[in-house]
Amino acid sequence: MNILVCVKQVPDPELPLSISPDGTWIGHEPKAFKMNHFDRFALEEAVLIRKGLLPEEKTCIDAVSVGPQRVAATLKRALAMGADNANHILLNDDSYLSPFDTASLIASWAEDKSYQLILTGVMAEDDMHCVVGQFIGEILAFACATSVIHQEIMDEGRGIYVEREVESGRRECLRLRLPAVLTLQPGINTPSYPSLSNMLRAADQEILTIGQGELPSLGQRDRLVSLRQPERSSRGVFMEGTMVEKARALVKIFHEKSLI
Amino acid sequence: MVKARIFVIMEHRQGHIPQAAHEALSFALDLGARQDLGVMAMIPGNRVETPARELARTAGVDVTGVKGEHLEPYNGEVWKGAVAEVLEDEDPLYICMSHTATGFDLAPRLAYFLKASCITSVVGVRITGDKVSFIRPMFNNKLHGEITPAMKKTVLTVLPGSGPDSLSGPASKGHVRIVRAGHAPSLSKTLKLKASQKTGLNLGDADLIVSAGRGLGGPENLHLLEELVKAFPGAALASSKALCDQGWLPYKHQVGVTGQTVSPRLYLACGISGAPQHIGGMRGSQTIVAINTNPEASIFNVSDYCVVEDLETFIPVLLKELKGHSGYR
Ligand SMILES: Cc1cc2nc3c(=O)[nH]c(=O)nc-3n(C[C@H](O)[C@H](O)[C@H](O)COP(=O)(O)OP(=O)(O)OC[C@H]3O[C@@H](n4cnc5c(N)ncnc54)[C@H](O)[C@@H]3O)c2cc1C
Ligand SMILES: Nc1ncnc2c1ncn2[C@@H]1O[C@H](COP(=O)(O)O)[C@@H](O)[C@H]1O
Repeated sequence: MNILVCVKQVPDPELPLSISPDGTWIGHEPKAFKMNHFDRFALEEAVLIRKGLLPEEKTCIDAVSVGPQRVAATLKRALAMGADNANHILLNDDSYLSPFDTASLIASWAEDKSYQLILTGVMAEDDMHCVVGQFIGEILAFACATSVIHQEIMDEGRGIYVEREVESGRRECLRLRLPAVLTLQPGINTPSYPSLSNMLRAADQEILTIGQGELPSLGQRDRLVSLRQPERSSRGVFMEGTMVEKARALVKIFHEKSLI
Repeated sequence: MVKARIFVIMEHRQGHIPQAAHEALSFALDLGARQDLGVMAMIPGNRVETPARELARTAGVDVTGVKGEHLEPYNGEVWKGAVAEVLEDEDPLYICMSHTATGFDLAPRLAYFLKASCITSVVGVRITGDKVSFIRPMFNNKLHGEITPAMKKTVLTVLPGSGPDSLSGPASKGHVRIVRAGHAPSLSKTLKLKASQKTGLNLGDADLIVSAGRGLGGPENLHLLEELVKAFPGAALASSKALCDQGWLPYKHQVGVTGQTVSPRLYLACGISGAPQHIGGMRGSQTIVAINTNPEASIFNVSDYCVVEDLETFIPVLLKELKGHSGYR
């Protein structure tokens, strides 16, 4: 079974963000980027599927990422986490790419590779669209389930049973025909940290690079005009002073509001 | 009757339309009013007559019930086919729904089929001259992006919790029509809906909530939260999804759109970043206090009292002050 896992590189959410001078994307000064939190679960699930299948079934896990040069580091990480091959769809510049454009690049690349499963995270931490997987499914005319929290391959690899997490913790249970795209919710597994030997192996492994221009494009459907700091909707007061002063002020407020 | 150019797909569970869908309708009505466009609500399902009539009466909009036996429970493939079929006879500019597990599942499928733009998790509209763009949170709500559609039609998902609902005492009742959709799924089959496994703890009734996120650092720090809970009489312990995903607490503690919705008098958020899906479950709290090391964390946008501190060092200090204060009780 061939499995494709889509991994995105995102800015480390713990670090401060700046907006680029033209206001159309985040600042480009070298800063820490990491693998999208949600995609670690997709990779781990692929690894678990490979473990669960018989050795003669020969499962191959390909990772793919769309982005500028820096994305190679995330693909190395994907290799260390258990991907067999890494594929980099290299963008010409480091600017915003709409989710439809991302999906159409991934889909055109995946089209002739006979993947039975394409796994994505449910959402990218940076742009938070929750749509790339569904678009890939539509473009390739694959079955698709989103927000998947449990899966079981069935019918000798022709189908898959999935449970998707919906509001208030309820689950929708579906059966899909393979090939299929699944977008995965954290909680489906517990991603393991790569071992040192895997990291070393990954460091030496080649990444296949595909130029953005080598893949047919379906045309842009929307455009990011600008990024802004949101208006602080906050009624919020930032507590000041030393830790003890802040704690005292809070206790006073709790008392005034009869919370203690 | 104005010809509808904005269509709102309303999800429902056995006829009950959730708040999130009402918010999407209300967003659409506002967009319609600002652009002079008619709005029509659509309810796909198997038993749609009652909710359709009810919605036409309470919200005063025209409603199309799209009826088919494979439309309930939700199936993305079938909903896409049925909705697209009804829209074929119409001339939609915008198709709106809420950004829920149903909405974000359906929106891109429908957009692809209709050759439409797809903009998700929308919280606002900007209209300048004849240009319309949509505002949506990005980077965990730290920034807002403004996106313009490049296609004639646009499919939108509206972030729950971003506006009032549509039930504002309408002047007149809307028209109701029921159309049949014979679609059956071919690639997927929805088997059933499983009830929540997160039972055993009802946070909805809690008066005071102490809540922890991934900023807790590890389960070895849980005792800090447990001591805080004890310091507030009758308080309950809650958490973000990310913390449960780490296995530090069972899912029954999870607050948010896929967890429990709470509205206590106090919500004390410790090490929670403020993702829209978390905020969606606790924004109704009366007083929100947040402790977070990152002054830019978006939880501070909804908090009344913001404490920029490391919870590992701050909570012990707070506990000490709370204990010193017990004389007030
Ligand atoms: C479809 C869908 C449904 C979802 N449903 C839910 C839901 O119901 N509920 C939910 O909670 N999430 C939900 N999520 C996940 C959500 O998007 C976030 O990933 C999650 O809420 C993040 O949890 P967190 O704030 O604990 O973790 P993080 O986002 O990792 O934030 C941790 C925070 O802790 C702070 N911190 C770190 N160290 C310290 C310290 N020592 N002291 C103080 N602060 C510190 C950091 O600055 C950061 O702000 C959903 C996501 C999707 C896509
Ligand atoms: N540039 C990218 N490269 C590879 N995968 C991506 C990229 N963007 C999004 N994805 C995948 O699509 C998922 C959903 O992203 P989004 O629709 O942007 O929220 C992510 O979790 C990734 O698995």
